[in-house]
Amino acid sequence: MISTELESLVASAGRLEKWPLAKLISLFETETEESKQSRQQVMSYLQAQHKDGPGGFVLGITGTPGAGKSSLIGELCLSLLASADGLSVAVLAVDPSSQSSGGALLGDRTRTQLPVSNPRIFFRSQASDLDLGGVGRKTFQVVRLLRYFFDLVIIETVGIGQSEVEVKTLSDHTVLVMQPLAGDQVQFMKAGVMEVPDTFVVNKCDEDSLAKKSYHLLKSSLKLVHIYVGAEGDGNKQIFLTSALKQKGIGELADFVMSQISLAGNRQSLQNLEAYYLKKQVARVYGTYGLAVLERYEKSGLSMLKTFEEKEQAIFQLLGAALPAVDSYCQVLSW
Amino acid sequence: MTEKQNHIIYGKDGKPTKDRPWIFRTYAGHTNVWATNELYRDNLSKGQTGLSIALDLPTQCGYSSEHPIAKPEIGKVGVPINTLDDFHVLFDNIPLEEMNTSMTINGTAMWLLSLYVALAEERGVTVAELKGTTQNDLIKEYLARGTYIFPPEDSMRLIVDMYEYCLHNIPSWNASNICSYHLQEAGATPVQELAFALVTAITILDAIKERDCFTEEEFERCVGRISFFVNAGMRFVEEVSKMRAFCEMWDEITQKRYGVKNEKYRRFRYGVQVNSLGLTAEQPENNAWRILIETLGVTLSRKARCRALQLPAWNEALSLPRPWDQQWSLRIQQILAYETDLLEYPDLLDGSHVIESKVKDLKAQAYSEIEKILDMGGGVEAVKSGYMKSALVASQSARMARLSSGEQVVVGKNKWVEGLASPLVGGSDGGIFMVDAKAAQKTIEALQKTIQTRDQSRVDAALARLVEEARSDKNLMEASIECAKARVTTGEWSAALRSVFGEFRPPTGVDGQSLTIDTDTLKAVRAKIAAFIEKYGYRPRMVVGKPGLDGHSNGAEMISVSARHAGFDVIYFGIRLSAEEIVQSAIEENVDVIGVSLLSGSHNEIMKQLFDELEKSGAKDGIPVVLGGIIPEPDYAGLQRLGVKKIFTPKDFDPMQVMSEIMDVINEQKQVKA
Repeated sequence: MISTELESLVASAGRLEKWPLAKLISLFETETEESKQSRQQVMSYLQAQHKDGPGGFVLGITGTPGAGKSSLIGELCLSLLASADGLSVAVLAVDPSSQSSGGALLGDRTRTQLPVSNPRIFFRSQASDLDLGGVGRKTFQVVRLLRYFFDLVIIETVGIGQSEVEVKTLSDHTVLVMQPLAGDQVQFMKAGVMEVPDTFVVNKCDEDSLAKKSYHLLKSSLKLVHIYVGAEGDGNKQIFLTSALKQKGIGELADFVMSQISLAGNRQSLQNLEAYYLKKQVARVYGTYGLAVLERYEKSGLSMLKTFEEKEQAIFQLLGAALPAVDSYCQVLSW
Repeated sequence: MTEKQNHIIYGKDGKPTKDRPWIFRTYAGHTNVWATNELYRDNLSKGQTGLSIALDLPTQCGYSSEHPIAKPEIGKVGVPINTLDDFHVLFDNIPLEEMNTSMTINGTAMWLLSLYVALAEERGVTVAELKGTTQNDLIKEYLARGTYIFPPEDSMRLIVDMYEYCLHNIPSWNASNICSYHLQEAGATPVQELAFALVTAITILDAIKERDCFTEEEFERCVGRISFFVNAGMRFVEEVSKMRAFCEMWDEITQKRYGVKNEKYRRFRYGVQVNSLGLTAEQPENNAWRILIETLGVTLSRKARCRALQLPAWNEALSLPRPWDQQWSLRIQQILAYETDLLEYPDLLDGSHVIESKVKDLKAQAYSEIEKILDMGGGVEAVKSGYMKSALVASQSARMARLSSGEQVVVGKNKWVEGLASPLVGGSDGGIFMVDAKAAQKTIEALQKTIQTRDQSRVDAALARLVEEARSDKNLMEASIECAKARVTTGEWSAALRSVFGEFRPPTGVDGQSLTIDTDTLKAVRAKIAAFIEKYGYRPRMVVGKPGLDGHSNGAEMISVSARHAGFDVIYFGIRLSAEEIVQSAIEENVDVIGVSLLSGSHNEIMKQLFDELEKSGAKDGIPVVLGGIIPEPDYAGLQRLGVKKIFTPKDFDPMQVMSEIMDVINEQKQVKA
C-alpha cells in the first residue's frame, strides 16, 4: 500500500510538476531504511499503474571531457521540444565525486541552456559517489523512476572506457560524442570499447571543412577496428556531425532520436536491468559468495517477489542471516 | 661640455630636465549620463587629465536599459548608454579633441567606439584627432570579468576590424588594451599575468597578420598601438620586476616574432589600476596605505613606468566609491608626482643585481608558459579548452588556502584584527555610496524619447546592413557608425550581431579543481557533513550561481570549489542568470541551500526578484538562501527581512568557516521541516 503522501507526490510528478519530481528523485537517491520502504511503495504503485512497463526511452550520451556533451544535449533538447509536440524529456547529468572529500562539483547545468519554466524538460545533476567510471547505483535508481514519467530520459556521463559499458547497460541507445579530428584516437582505444556506442557524434564541427575531414577520419579509423558505418555496414551504426555553437546538424540528430523513440521493441526490460543491478549490489558487498547464494535463491523463492526493493531486502536478509552464526562460531573458537 | 651625471635626466637638447607625470585618471561613471557628466567636469576641474569611463553592466553586456535583465543594474557600476543621444549628454561641455578618453568596454567595444566617432562627426570635431582607448580585451573577459557576448573567433574579428579602422582613421586611438589587471584579480601569479597578457597580445597580432590588411609600415604602427592595462599588488618589489620583465619581453617579442624595426613601436605602453583584490573590508582605512604602496610598483622604475594611472578607493571592499573617496585616491597620485622628487631621476633600479636576477627569473618562467600555450594552439584555443581559466582558478584556490592558514599575512584581516573603530565609516551615509533608484527612470525615459523620435526606416536599414556585413567578412565599423547616427540602441546593435554570431559560454574552470586546505575548521565541517549524511541518507546539496549581469565569478567559483572540498554536492550554475533560472534550478535539483554571489551593488533589487520567484514557486520556506559579495552593512536588515539567512562579505575569508555556517543554515532548515 502506498501512503497518501507518497501517492500525491507521485500524482504531482505525473503531471511533471518540478518540485514533486525533484523530491521523488531525491527519495531514489537517499540511503536510509525509510527511503527504501518508500521506494518499494512507489515502485509497486507505478508497476501496478503501468502494466506494460514504463514507456520512457533511455538515451545514454558519453564522451571525453571537452567534447561538448552538455552544450550538445542542450541544443538537442531545444530542437526536440520545438519539433516534437508534447514530448517530455529528462536529462540526468552525472559527474564524478572527489575521492578525498566525497563531495562533487556538478557543472553540466551551466553548459546546458534550457528553458527552466517549461514542464516538458527536466534537468538533474547527480554525483557518481564512489562508483568509479561515472554512472552507478544512484543512476540506475533514478533512471528506472524517470522512465515512468518522461518519454525520453537522457543520461550524460564522462566516458573513460569502463563506464561506457555501464551506460550501455542502462540505456536503450548509446551515443559517443567526440571532438573533431579525434578519429585517429580510436585506433588507440580498445576495439571493444568502440563497439559499445550505437551512434557516433563528432561535435564542435563549427566549419564544414573540419566536419568533412573529421567524418572521413573517424570512418576510416573505425574500419580499422572492424566497425563499419553507413552504407558499408548493416546500416545500424551512424556518424552525425554537429556544432552546438553554430547549431549545425542538431535537427538531423533530433530526427534520428525521434525515430529511435518511436521504434517499438527497442526498450530494455526493467526486469533485466533490475536483475543486473541486484547482482552488482550483492557482488559489491558479498563478492562471489554472494553471487552464488543469489543464484540459488533466484531459482527458488526470489523470483516470486515483484519489486527490486523486495528482492534486495530478501537477499540481503538471507546473506546477513549468516553473520550471527559466524559470530557465535568465532566465539566458540576463541574459548 | 661637462661630463653627464648618472643621477640627472638629460633632455633632447642635452640640458637637465625632469619627467612629466603620467596621466591621472579616475575610473568613474554612475547613475545616468547627467550625473556622470557633472562628475567628469568636476574631476577635470580638480586636475584630472584624462577620462576613464565606467559603463554599467547592461551597456557592457549589450542590453538596453529597458531589457528585464538590465533593470536592477542600470547605473550601478557605471553610466548607462543606450543611444547616441546619451553620448551627447555625457560629453556635454567637454572638449573631445582635448580629451584622452579610456572606455572600459569589451563585448560592445565596437559599438561604443562607433558612438564616439559619430558624436565627433555630429559635433564637427575631426575624427582623426580623437585620442583614447577602448579596452576590448575579450580573452580576459572569458577568463575573469565575464562581459563577453560573442564566441572567441567572432570577438577576434571585431577587434581586428577596429585595429584596421583606427589605424586608417583615428591613428591615436588604442583599439584594444590588453588587460592583465583582471587576471591578477582572478588569482594570477606574476608569471601567469606576464604570460597570459602577452599571449593575448600575440593572439591579436597574429589575427591582424592573418587578415593581411596592412603594409609593413602600417603593421609596425599597428604594433605600436597595442597597449596594456596591468595590475600591481602589495609585493611591490616583485611588481616592479614584473613591469621591467613586461617591457623587455614585449620588446623582444615584437622584434623576433613580428620583425618590428622601429624601437618606438616596440615600447611597452601601459596604464594601471592597482590591486583591489588585496584591499580589505576589515579596518578599511589601512587600504589607503596599501594603495600608495601598490602605486610604487608601477612608478618607481622610470624605464617601466606607467603611462596612466587610476587608483581604487579605500572603501572598494565595502561598496562602490563616493566622489570624495575617489578624490582621496587622486590626491595620492598628485602627492607622489608633485611633492616628491621621483620624476627628477633616471631609472633608479638599473644596475641592481637583485632586480636584474628577479626579472630574469620571471621572464624565463613566463616564456616557458607562453610557449606552452602557443603549442596548444594559442590564446583562442586556450580559452576554449579552459586551460588558462583552470590555471587561474587553481592559483586563486592556493591564495585562498594561504590566507586561511595565515601563511599570507593581511593586517587587520588574519593578523592584528583587533583595533579601534574607524571614524571614516561613521558618516551619515555609513561611508558608502548609494545610487539613486529614481535616476534609472530618467535613463529609460530618454531612451523611449529617442525611439519615438528617430527615423525608423533609417534604423531598419542600418541594422539590416549590419547583419548583412556581419555575415560577410566586411569591416563592421562603418556599418556600426551608421547605426549610431541612426539612433540604433545598444540592445539592438548587440541583438543584430548575436543573431549572426551566437552567444558564447566559456569553460568555468572549476571542474577538477582541488583545495589544499587542511585545518581544524575543515575537520569540523566535514564532521558536520558526515553527521548529516548519517542522519538523512544523502550528501547536502547546494546550488551556486550569479544572478544578473555581474560577471566577476571568482567568489562563486571559490565557494563552489570550497564546498566540494568540504564534502557538499555542489551544482555550479555559472553567471548571467535570471532569478527564475536560479530558483527553478534549485527546485529541480532539490537542493538544501541556494548560494548567490553579487558584487555589482544590485543585491537589493536582485534578491527581491529571487524571493518573489521563490514565493511564486511555493519554495520560499522550503529552500534557504545565503548571499555573498560586497554588501554594505546598512543593507543587511532589509535583506534579512526578505529572507536571506546568511550574508558573507570579503571579511569571511576562511572558506571552511563559511561552509560550516552554511551547514548550520541547512541543519536549522531541517529542524524546522521536521
